Amino acid sequence: MLDAGLCRYVLISYGHNALSSDSLFTMLMDFAGDDAVFGHFGATGGYALAARRAMHEFNTGPQTWKHIAVAQRAWANLNPQAVMYDKPMSFDDYLSSKYVVEPLRLPDNCLVNDGGRAVIVATLERARDLKHRPAVILGLGQHNPSVQVTQSGILTGSTGARKACETALSIAGITRDDIDACQIYDCFTYTVELTLQDYGFFEPGEGESWFSGGTTGPGGRMPVNTSGGQLSEAYYMGLTPLSEAAMQIMGRCGDRQLGPATQTKEPNIILVSDNGGILQTHSCCILGRI
Amino acid sequence: MEYTKPLPRINSDNREFWEGCRNHELRFQKCASCGHIRFPASYVCPKCLRKDFQWIVSAGIGKVYTYAVYHVAYHQGFLEDLPYVVAVVELQEGPRLLTNIVGCPPEEVSCEMPVTVVWKDATPDISLPMFRPL
Amino acid sequence: MNREKTYAIVGVGYTPQGRVPGRTSLSFHLEACANAITDAGISKDDIDGLICYRHFPASSDENDLTPYLVAQHLGIEPNYLSQDAN
Repeated sequence: MLDAGLCRYVLISYGHNALSSDSLFTMLMDFAGDDAVFGHFGATGGYALAARRAMHEFNTGPQTWKHIAVAQRAWANLNPQAVMYDKPMSFDDYLSSKYVVEPLRLPDNCLVNDGGRAVIVATLERARDLKHRPAVILGLGQHNPSVQVTQSGILTGSTGARKACETALSIAGITRDDIDACQIYDCFTYTVELTLQDYGFFEPGEGESWFSGGTTGPGGRMPVNTSGGQLSEAYYMGLTPLSEAAMQIMGRCGDRQLGPATQTKEPNIILVSDNGGILQTHSCCILGRI
Repeated sequence: MEYTKPLPRINSDNREFWEGCRNHELRFQKCASCGHIRFPASYVCPKCLRKDFQWIVSAGIGKVYTYAVYHVAYHQGFLEDLPYVVAVVELQEGPRLLTNIVGCPPEEVSCEMPVTVVWKDATPDISLPMFRPL
Repeated sequence: MNREKTYAIVGVGYTPQGRVPGRTSLSFHLEACANAITDAGISKDDIDGLICYRHFPASSDENDLTPYLVAQHLGIEPNYLSQDAN
């Protein structure tokens, strides 16, 4: 729309009183369709089916996902706006949590929260006159396998993430080695593992060793979900990772700012992902400083 | 006893499938053009888009492709069943079906486990295909 | 780099978040939008494109939330309007 000259400023918004209303209950019943006949409801159930197959095919499971959950909680503990700001989490806290739909525990799930988020996109030319350093869109890619989880052959990869990322990197004219941080759609911990795996950061089964040692947390060599993400900050679909990537590039993240404040790389290039359905759609965006 | 769980919504696409279930038969559409056996029931073949097909009856034998164990009840009707197993079963003929695994504790379910169909008569009109270990 | 054909995020809008009772989903869209507009340092009349993320079913005390409704309550008439079916 911007490219066609139809628009100068595009506003993208999300808002939901998810926690304080009955909307989610309605959604569970409406969206489940005939899966409800067999007691199958919601995203947790869908991703649990995917995660279990992954555990069968390669080394993964709670011992991998605990790293994701704990690292993101550590980022949230640096973010006063995060829902989980004042709730630290250890590996023991994670492993002793109850299952919701096994193999997924409560800390494997994104938050249910009230609230909204919005971003505005404009041309770089117009950004010149505005308040903040612009977070430039360097590349974009999409790929949508679409098949519902009960029929899907890509529950353990390659999902839409692989092609979407290749396209985005190609448009941006960079490689994965140029990425300083990632903001990954994290409806579930397993989603983060699968996305980064499909983006080529590690092979199937190598996630546990890749995440170990705080790779993605404060001070890590590849920060992921620096606001706490949907797991520990707040859930606004793709606007959670996208808005955090923008804020990091703008340099407005206070105690969680990438760079010297958190002993991490300066955020010159950030990889952002967005998902839909149960591994049915994928969008990859690369934001950067110029 | 009143059946308190959700029932499938019958429509022109799936009526024949659910009619088969009522007679304890798992029926699938086999494309008359390319031979692909499809599920869910559909007006066109997802491989070649042709509309002509025949119904075939499955032997009801397959394996668990994946599964999940519910520890919370999203719907009152399932409260008494906790913990229960939802699974994707891959039948020998090819189609994958969302279903429940019954007849064994959840801890004994595993991926690739061989299973066979059993029927849950929910109402006089609706029977549901479930699977137990072979 | 062609600045006319390169695009960037120029503003971000936040709202209170977590447990925030007594609010409609619509009100969160509106507050986030208004805050993003202020953050970018533009006027609401500059907004000529609106994309609202796919909405969940409305709560039982709210009307169906559409991009039309958000545009109406923001008092804007965008050239491009859509709902992101994610």
